[in-house]
Amino acid sequence: MRAVVFRGEGVVEAADVPEPSLQDARDAIVRVGLAGICGTDLHVVHGDIPMEPGSILGHEAAGVVESAGSAVRGVSVGDRVVASFQIACGECWFCRTGQNGLCEQHRMLGGGPFGGDLHGAQAGYVRVPIADVNLLRIPDGVPDEAAMFVGDVLTTGVHASSLASPGDDDVVAVLGAGPVGACVARALLADGARHVVVLDRDAARLEPIAALGVTTIDVRATNPEMALARMTDGRGADVVIDAVGATEAYGSALEIVRRGGRVVIVGVYTSQRVELQLGVAWIRGITLAFSGETPVQSLWGPTMERVAAGALDPTPLISHRLPISAAVEGYDLFERRVATKVVLDPWP
Amino acid sequence: MAMFAGQEWFEAFGREIEGSETYREAAADWEGDIAFRVVAEPDRNVPEDLWGYLDLWHGRCRRAAAIEPAEAAGAAYTLTAPYSRWKDVVEGELDPIKGMMQGKLRVRGDLPMIVRYVKAANELVRLTGRVDTDFPDEA
Repeated sequence: MRAVVFRGEGVVEAADVPEPSLQDARDAIVRVGLAGICGTDLHVVHGDIPMEPGSILGHEAAGVVESAGSAVRGVSVGDRVVASFQIACGECWFCRTGQNGLCEQHRMLGGGPFGGDLHGAQAGYVRVPIADVNLLRIPDGVPDEAAMFVGDVLTTGVHASSLASPGDDDVVAVLGAGPVGACVARALLADGARHVVVLDRDAARLEPIAALGVTTIDVRATNPEMALARMTDGRGADVVIDAVGATEAYGSALEIVRRGGRVVIVGVYTSQRVELQLGVAWIRGITLAFSGETPVQSLWGPTMERVAAGALDPTPLISHRLPISAAVEGYDLFERRVATKVVLDPWP
Repeated sequence: MAMFAGQEWFEAFGREIEGSETYREAAADWEGDIAFRVVAEPDRNVPEDLWGYLDLWHGRCRRAAAIEPAEAAGAAYTLTAPYSRWKDVVEGELDPIKGMMQGKLRVRGDLPMIVRYVKAANELVRLTGRVDTDFPDEA
């Protein structure tokens, strides 16, 4: 089968590799219909998240169950499914309390040694452990293009909106208009937020988000701290969601949030360090919430229902659909921010 | 008229500090140079960050200048805020000590030390008002 293979820091390749096989009675093999390229994949490619050369990248996929182990009950061969990017056990205290992102046996598709060295989903087939927990059936009428987002970034948006939990009149600032920020904005709107402001340094990324009815700010043209201050009688944003995962965004979040406000960090951080002036943070009464990995399995059912009902539609985020053989081009487009979301077709 | 945060403006500000008996008394034991970063606001006609420097020592101003960012690295204190915040300070609409405690003016350096010099800080603000200033968003 064709797959996107990590060859070493900065190097990916579309290559022919052996197909996966069932290794446990709870496994399923999914024939991948579509696989996405995510910002986390770039962290892997850049070496920020370690990975053994030869491993298959990717953790966003929708497809069809090709085979299932003898203990799998929740899905059957032929079912259309989406995979969770995170592979949870479903049995530990964290999983039983809906915090699957903190699972004791946490693994991740295409996440390298930190993710249990599972091969990723940018491939013709992917092995999904504990299929009953980590696969979700896709309702009729929901295309793979939409369902794929439910296994990761759209549900991350729902999670961020839940953590932000804005009041009726709160101004919510979302830093970053990439796929995560766009999904956060969609989830906030679907949850009833009335004052959503999305900020990015790339005006082209803001255009499609503005069409959702949110306020957009190009931070290259307008200072974000002052822009939010002017919208709020000088106070600053009630809630800020960092959907970037860069220290500049973290710093900006603390600058634009009001005293007593809340900063929710959903962007992925790895080894970065920042200076936090504790006295100022204390006296400002800032609440700082790190989202951790999204507890996909506890949120994806309702998220999929909202997709099926048309309340959440992530498909406009897809800017490029490429055959998996063009994966190198896809990574390059995404890296250069030319693409908003690249999806790869393993069977063009 | 001197453009805010330009070389001419800082020189004029330095002369005002040197001429202030009030500042000299309030900062008689102050030791520490201060770099100022005026964060860009392109839509306020401040397309790039502006940097300034005051070498303040025992009530005197030994140097006042617009500087390059690299020169700020060795300063004991760096105060950072968007242009509009600084304008509010100069126009007396933002108390600098409150601004520091509220995070509107960001301090790198010993914050408790700097906030002890409330009287000196207030005098510095009053003195900026004596500089005949052009603001870039009003030009």
